[in-house]
Amino acid sequence: MKENVEKRVAGLFLVMLAVLAYVAWSSVHHIKENIKDKDWVNHTHDVIIHAQDILSYLHAGDAALRTYLITGDERDKQGYRVAYSTMVERLDQAVALTRSGAEEQPVQQRFLELQNLISNRIDVARSTVQAREKGGLEAVRQLFGARPDVESINKIERSVNNLVTTENGLLTQRDQQLHLQAQATKTTVYFGLVVDFALVVLVGWLMRNDLALRRKAAQALEEANEQLEAKVQQRTAELVKTNQSLKQENLERRWSHQALDHQLRYNQLIINSISELVIVISRALNISRINPAVVQQTSWEPQDLISQSIEKILHFPPPLSGDDSQNPLTAAMRDGRQMHDRPAQLLTRSGKPMPVLCSLTPLHDQDKIVGAVVTMRAQAAVPQPTSS
Amino acid sequence: MPIKKHILSIDDEADIRELLQEVLTIKGYRVSTAAEPEAARKIIREDPPQLIIMDFQIEEGDGFVLIEDIKRLAPKTPVLLLTGAVFDRNVVRDTIEKKVSRYLDKTASLSTIVSEIERLLGDAPTSDLA
Repeated sequence: MKENVEKRVAGLFLVMLAVLAYVAWSSVHHIKENIKDKDWVNHTHDVIIHAQDILSYLHAGDAALRTYLITGDERDKQGYRVAYSTMVERLDQAVALTRSGAEEQPVQQRFLELQNLISNRIDVARSTVQAREKGGLEAVRQLFGARPDVESINKIERSVNNLVTTENGLLTQRDQQLHLQAQATKTTVYFGLVVDFALVVLVGWLMRNDLALRRKAAQALEEANEQLEAKVQQRTAELVKTNQSLKQENLERRWSHQALDHQLRYNQLIINSISELVIVISRALNISRINPAVVQQTSWEPQDLISQSIEKILHFPPPLSGDDSQNPLTAAMRDGRQMHDRPAQLLTRSGKPMPVLCSLTPLHDQDKIVGAVVTMRAQAAVPQPTSS
Repeated sequence: MPIKKHILSIDDEADIRELLQEVLTIKGYRVSTAAEPEAARKIIREDPPQLIIMDFQIEEGDGFVLIEDIKRLAPKTPVLLLTGAVFDRNVVRDTIEKKVSRYLDKTASLSTIVSEIERLLGDAPTSDLA
């Protein structure tokens, strides 16, 4: 969609550029044509001015000639000569002006015809002056009477007037042509401006639509970002909370471990510090733990005794009366009662019996007897057990 | 920035001292530690703490004697006895709690210990350790 709009805008700009280029080319072309036409108009005006000058100088020369013929004054004669001379000069200039270009040839042809008429007129004037100089007014009268020249000036006037009329007609045509060209240029420029303006409006509309779409897309993106940011913050908060919880658990665990370790070592220290012999037994009379005093006084190592029955190393003398042949340790545990200072013999590792006073305290764990702690202290003299 | 409250921890176990210091520092307290009585007395004299946490067992000394010294040096400073030597409830009620502000077994949870410290210092209790 976005690329499509960009292509359209680019295409419209290309069209605008083409229209502007055409308008520029057309305007330059029309300006060039205009300059050319103006040159031609100036030239034509120049030709007309020269033609009219010819006629003016002809009339001026003719007036001076007539005056001279009447007065015989040399100044008038000089005036006629100057006027005719200027007229010839203007005629030569007009011929020169119309020398170039095919379209000038008819005009030049007319000037050449005019040249003949003027040449004839000059000849007439010259002969008239000569007649005046030689025979006075009478001779002039005779000359006019013999060869009257009343048409030569009229012919020249008609020729010049025809030429001027023709040139004016051409000027009018050219003016109309120039007007049409100017109209065409104006129309082209206006058309170009209108088309370009329409294209600019179209581009603006397309861009406005595109901008609206982009704004909408940006807004949607911003909203999505905000939602994402909120989710990230929520997740971060959860992670922070979880992290704090884990830290807390970790600290608690470390504390618990160290406190229990401390407690255990403290309890161990207490047990190890007891000078009496301490043996922990299970309900089946198997040894599960001994204190250092046992090792020290019997030379038994823990690995020799652990999991072995205490009956192997601790012997009680048979009861003096009654028929209870059960081990007193088993009996005390069965009854859940303590036993105090019962004489017995503890066998050391070397096999030597050691007289001891034995006590037992059952281990209660939630109303169940799970074992017992047997403590022994050395006795100076205890009765020797009979062999079973 | 508010001035951090000063706590003195006296214990012969380096691990216990370090862990307590870590936790209480996180909670925003300034913690000094001592392993034996002379160092503890020096800190109490030079930088009086707002709370003393002590074990009953300390290096080169006796907990009861140190408690008497603390009462003499800083009579208004609360003392929390945090020990692994488990006392009977009656003993705690009749003897121990008359000598110190509060007695706690080391097997108590860390959050309980921290809450008690905050209570003794008059701070608002917080639920989290970390």
